Amino acid sequence: MSGGPLIVQSDKTLLLEIEHPDSQACRLAIAPFAELERSPEHVHTYRLTPLGLWNARAAGHDAEGVVNALITYSRYPVPHALLVDVAETMDRYGRLQLINDPAHGLVLRAVDRVVLIEVAKSKKLAGMLGAKLDDDTIAVHPSERGRLKQALLKLGWPAEDLAGYVNGEAHPIELAEAGGDGGKPWTLRSYQREAVEAFWAGGSGVVVLPCGAGKTLVGAAAMAEAKATTLILVTNTVAGRQWKRELVARTSLTEAEIGEYSGERKEIRPVTIATYQVLTSRRGGAFTHLDLFGARDWGLVVYDEVHLLPAPIFRFTADLQARRRLGLTATLVREDGREGDVFSLIGPKRYDAPWKDIEQQGWIAPARCTEVRVTLTEAERMAYAMAEAEERYRMAATTRTKLPVVKALLDRHPGEQTLVIGGYIDQLHQLGEYLDAPIVQGSTTNRERERLFDAFRSGELRTLVISKVGNFSIDLPEAAVAVQVSGTFGSRQEEAQRLGRVLRPKADGRQAHFYTVVSRDTIDTEYAAHRQRFLAEQGYAYTIVDADDVLGPSLPSVD
Amino acid sequence: MTNSLADHLRALPDQELAALLQQRPDLVVPVPSDLAALALRAQSRVSVARVLDSLDRFTLQVLDAARLTRDAAADTTSLDVILAMAAANARPPDPAAVREAVRLLRSRLLLYGPDERLHVVGGIDEISPYPAGLGRPAAELDSRAAALCADPAKLRRTLLSAPPSARAILDRLAAGPPVGSVPPGALQAPPLGAEDALPPDPTNGGAPTGSPVRWLVDHRLLVSVTTGGGGRPGTVELPREVGLLLRRDTGPLGPMPTDPPEVASPPREPKAVDSAGAGQTMEVVRQAEALLEQLAAEPASVLRSGGLGVRDLRRLARALGLDEPTAALLLEAAHAAGLTGELEAPGLAAPRTGGDQQVLPSTGYEAWRAGSLAQRWEQLARAWLTMTRQPGLVGQRDDRDRPITVLSPEAERAGTPIARQAALGVLADLEPATAPTPDEVLELLDWRAPRRSRGREAAHREVLTEAATLGVTGLGALTSYGRLLLTDATAGEQRGADDPLGLHVDGEPSTAVRALDGLLPAPVDHFLVQADLTVVVPGPADPTLAAELDVVAEHESAGGASVHRVTPASVRRALDAGYSADDLHGLFARRSRTPVPQGLTYLVDDVARRHGGLRVGATGAYLRSDDEALLGEVLADRRLEVLALRRLAPTVLVTPGPVNRMLATLREAGYAPVPEDATGAAVLTRPRTRRAPARPPGTAARIVDPVTAPRLPMPRLLGMVEQIRRGDAATRAAQRAPASLRGQEGAGAAHRHTDALAVLQQAVRDKALVWVGYVDAHGATASRLVRPVSIGAGYLRAEDERTEMLHTFALHRVAAAVLAD
Repeated sequence: MSGGPLIVQSDKTLLLEIEHPDSQACRLAIAPFAELERSPEHVHTYRLTPLGLWNARAAGHDAEGVVNALITYSRYPVPHALLVDVAETMDRYGRLQLINDPAHGLVLRAVDRVVLIEVAKSKKLAGMLGAKLDDDTIAVHPSERGRLKQALLKLGWPAEDLAGYVNGEAHPIELAEAGGDGGKPWTLRSYQREAVEAFWAGGSGVVVLPCGAGKTLVGAAAMAEAKATTLILVTNTVAGRQWKRELVARTSLTEAEIGEYSGERKEIRPVTIATYQVLTSRRGGAFTHLDLFGARDWGLVVYDEVHLLPAPIFRFTADLQARRRLGLTATLVREDGREGDVFSLIGPKRYDAPWKDIEQQGWIAPARCTEVRVTLTEAERMAYAMAEAEERYRMAATTRTKLPVVKALLDRHPGEQTLVIGGYIDQLHQLGEYLDAPIVQGSTTNRERERLFDAFRSGELRTLVISKVGNFSIDLPEAAVAVQVSGTFGSRQEEAQRLGRVLRPKADGRQAHFYTVVSRDTIDTEYAAHRQRFLAEQGYAYTIVDADDVLGPSLPSVD
Repeated sequence: MTNSLADHLRALPDQELAALLQQRPDLVVPVPSDLAALALRAQSRVSVARVLDSLDRFTLQVLDAARLTRDAAADTTSLDVILAMAAANARPPDPAAVREAVRLLRSRLLLYGPDERLHVVGGIDEISPYPAGLGRPAAELDSRAAALCADPAKLRRTLLSAPPSARAILDRLAAGPPVGSVPPGALQAPPLGAEDALPPDPTNGGAPTGSPVRWLVDHRLLVSVTTGGGGRPGTVELPREVGLLLRRDTGPLGPMPTDPPEVASPPREPKAVDSAGAGQTMEVVRQAEALLEQLAAEPASVLRSGGLGVRDLRRLARALGLDEPTAALLLEAAHAAGLTGELEAPGLAAPRTGGDQQVLPSTGYEAWRAGSLAQRWEQLARAWLTMTRQPGLVGQRDDRDRPITVLSPEAERAGTPIARQAALGVLADLEPATAPTPDEVLELLDWRAPRRSRGREAAHREVLTEAATLGVTGLGALTSYGRLLLTDATAGEQRGADDPLGLHVDGEPSTAVRALDGLLPAPVDHFLVQADLTVVVPGPADPTLAAELDVVAEHESAGGASVHRVTPASVRRALDAGYSADDLHGLFARRSRTPVPQGLTYLVDDVARRHGGLRVGATGAYLRSDDEALLGEVLADRRLEVLALRRLAPTVLVTPGPVNRMLATLREAGYAPVPEDATGAAVLTRPRTRRAPARPPGTAARIVDPVTAPRLPMPRLLGMVEQIRRGDAATRAAQRAPASLRGQEGAGAAHRHTDALAVLQQAVRDKALVWVGYVDAHGATASRLVRPVSIGAGYLRAEDERTEMLHTFALHRVAAAVLAD
């Protein structure tokens, strides 16, 4: 018994005890092959998956090393069967290789002939493989590269992709770390640098960083590394403008070099920022803007908020396997469970850091999460009890009793930039009136939106009520308090985004506050529990308080 | 021969005789009456086979050499001749090793006599008729073949002229065994004039030659032993001389390694081996426990043919996330360890066929669960080591192409404990932490005891996989405690007799248990609570802790540690089980090494707050009124004390008694209650007058004329007619038993019996009616017209159509059978 920090479970989860002196070394040792699943305060849970093990193989780790890491750090004897399983799983990787044959172009070559015979017979690969060139080689059409890799992964024989990348059309891009245009000098943060290096070494892949940790800069640095024309895919126009602003400020690129390809404008420039929406819009059943992918010889494709990548884009991405691809996200959790597709089409996870670690380094604001439980009035309880099942959540989430509580919460933080986030428009209007604050919602025009955001950023506006549209990629640097009153059921992804709104580091290192107002004893509490669990798994301890505690002292006693 | 062996024994000094008996202990059970009997027994087939089984390949080869070099006349050989033959080998073995082997053979009484006149003990030729895989000398087989062999030059020429396909056959037979069977007709000459009709033979140069075997037999290189040497029809044998000539490259005995094959696999770190094995033991004990718990929750029915159904096994395996072979192994081992047993299914006879017995954890399981990890493992592993079951057979098909199921009698194999001992013995004899591949183990086994391991390769492979699954081996090498288990098992037979139930829980733990205990983590009595409401026990949980956690949290992941999650449902369960909120706070505070998160405290309080918010109870009747004062009066009324009224709410009283009694008592006391039904509506009652139940009127409703009887419908009448006709035909047929059935006595009886069997077998196939003549229990002969259903195990089962009964006839009593027309 080595007394190490790691405990290996039979279901292939690894428990890492954080307080153990060796835990940091152990984390570094297991991070390449194990997926971090939960990181609450004492024991982090990692999971061994075939995908993770194959990614490790792709990154040059071998089974011996993995087994060794497990044995070295494990506190208890590791079951033999698990070690055998790890070795066997890793051994499946790379039996097939995708390589560029000088004569035949892209080919699938077998290191183990039996495997090639087995997969060639599979119905799932029908139509993807071309002519058999010799016993060990089968021709593959370049456009099938992505789909073939995806299908081979599903068959359990992942191919090693050695075919490389095209460099694309060269375009000079430098990071303006000296602070061009009169800005302050700055440098990439250590973890941003590590992320870019990990991505570049791997060729393609996903970088997972919490909101506010500067994902845009990772993208910019990757572009500076590629020095080629770049296509950036973002969720919406506002996020696109944000990218543009950031790129102009932080790189040698000028406004003229950056094009916007959205519903409003259709510019194709060396660096083009396109929205998912415009790419997936159809006319007469056909995707009309797909030409964008072929419009230039892109050297790099950046996917912002990759966890939101719509399904059609997956399909286009399958055709882009020869281009370098960078995915950026705060969470790889997809509510549709298609994480595997992200891995096989965009690339494996190249960099990931627990939020708490980055917080401890001071790069994101420390946050305090609080759940405030509101007791419904008798009338509301009655109405809730009688409501139809599908109306219940709405009923519980939008109850009027929440309004004074929200107000009381805002009063606790006078002078702070505050966001009130909700999912139901009616409720937001109520809140807007009650708090006397403007509302940003889906129907707000882009111009109005930017005006409000600018006002909020400059401090003119203290409180902003935003709907779901604000969930993604808006940069509100000084939001220090967020209050969420309703949401999309128990979406963990939404929770991550909303928390991200307050995690951007504050100028004076103040603490951020994240409040969730829920109705007691209703389905609202259940959904909140789901989201709380996500927060706790990210390492954010949270407290639950009663609304009376919030209201209590400030409320005058009424007879 | 016998005499000479007896003489030899007689001449031995007592010491040597005793040493001999020590080598062959089976000779003295029971103690023979004299030396002649001892000699006779020493040459018996069983005893010789037993001693041969224990010899390694080199010693057997030396024995073969002794047999091959026997002088035809005196039937003796000598050490020098044996040495010469060994030296003729392509890579001659060390003469000292040969001498040592001869000494060993002598000590086992397989060879005896002085060096220059060595006798081979009798009985060997019976057991293995072909020494070193060589055939009999040509002289014993066929005179013409002998003539060919007597002329070496001619033999060589003939051999060289053999066509390639014939040569291939020769090479195969030369490698041994030297006999082969040929397809019928291959040896016959093609019919006269039909030679051209033979297909051309491309391998033999295009010209039609018939089969290569015929060529060989024609040229006397093979001898057909169909009629001569007692072989089965269509058997050919390669004469010894031809075989020796074919083996001239390797030497007459083939390669003769004097030492066991080397293990090429790199040795492991002994600590790593023990650690991997220990990890596996924890895993396997946990899996076995989970399996038995699963079985307890949902018992599996025993099939009529014995064993558990394929579906049950699949279900158990899936519930545990195991593969089926592992689940089968665990079930078999647990059963052998006495942890499961069969019980009559509760309730009425189960609707499913044969499902009246169920497999459940036995009472031994409770005792087992109380033991330490190492003890539990030892009990399982020891049971596995000694059980005469081969779990690897589960899922395969038996001779009758029926699937072999787990715990069924078909998976019983008497030889498995020996196979386990042998395979693990190989590992035990290697340096500690040597991890040979399965192929290397098989090679070693083949060298150590070729006669015993041949044909058991599959079983040996299974042993190695199972040993890895059970953690007896780790990383392919025998673990230190596995080694102790093995020695304990061989030494511990005596103890097994003392403790027939195998429950040495209270006794001294065995050395294996103590060794394993040192490797396993100590139980942990605390946990870590986290904000996401998970509870992590960082090690094997102490039994009391495990019991507490079972109640208050859901189990999430097991292994080295265990992870539980506290949910509102689990907290409610704990409250239901009698914990109060304070108890739960106390439990978490006491057991947790880390501060209890506020979320958990809040959760417990929140659930406790709502717990019991609704109350359920049983009552006989209620009394309600909007007038609270009136109810107060009723409650205070002493005349109503018999009702044991209880106030549930200001406006509701309840009584455990029935409604009628309450009504009557209240009315008696002068109140005016009104009963109400389930919907709250008042039930009006009126005093009921007692009445006897109605009776049907005494006379018939209408008059029936017996003359105009009820008209029967036509189909029914036709059915009756058919029934009558059939009965008639049967009666007549019964009277007409064929003459051939009568008078079975006489010379032809035996012959008729054989005929009868054939007739019956045919009748079973055709489902035809047969007259069966048989001798009944009193010796009288009788005959019966039946339709045979099946024949088997000495009995004929047949259906008598007249009586519609199934009869069973002992076949030896059936004297004759004639097809009925």
